[in-house]
Amino acid sequence: MAGKLIANLIVMGSGIIGRAMLQAYRKALDNANKTGVAHETINNIRRASKTMTEQEARQILGVSEQSTWEEIAQRYDNLFERNATSGSFYLQSKVHRAKECLENVYQKNKQDGTPP
Amino acid sequence: MRKFYEGGFQPAMTRREAGLILGVRENVHPEKVKEAHKKVMVANHPDAGGSHYLASKINEAKDVLLGKTKGGGSVF
Repeated sequence: MAGKLIANLIVMGSGIIGRAMLQAYRKALDNANKTGVAHETINNIRRASKTMTEQEARQILGVSEQSTWEEIAQRYDNLFERNATSGSFYLQSKVHRAKECLENVYQKNKQDGTPP
Repeated sequence: MRKFYEGGFQPAMTRREAGLILGVRENVHPEKVKEAHKKVMVANHPDAGGSHYLASKINEAKDVLLGKTKGGGSVF
């Protein structure tokens, strides 16, 4: 008899707690959407994961807006080689990604017909 | 050929990133950090055709690993 009572209590209790948790979770999501925290988090994840900005790419290679593609390619070759021999693989990656990023920019400009 | 790391530098440098930049483990001896910093800096020195941005990152990495500035560290 007592065992049955206790079992009943446990089942009821866990049901109530479960429902409360679900509501709290919904409320938290709601709040995050309202205050813009969710947006910011998603933006941060996106920014941190895959892409490099053109500005950062130019800084890494040390070239300006007016630089021609030849100049950039030369800087890239130099930096890439140096980091291959006595730098680090991580920096080499950044140099490579910077070139990739600028390559896209310059190709787009060429198709549009505007001078780089 | 290893796969290149994706994307740009992290917004705030962590000890992990600092270690990657200098090519050493995070908890390596300070002497080793200085040695690695010297080596990487020689390869990327602005006077010899390196970029100022990378040089500043290398210096920041050394400071983070030597504990001079607080690295981002763990979020927990």
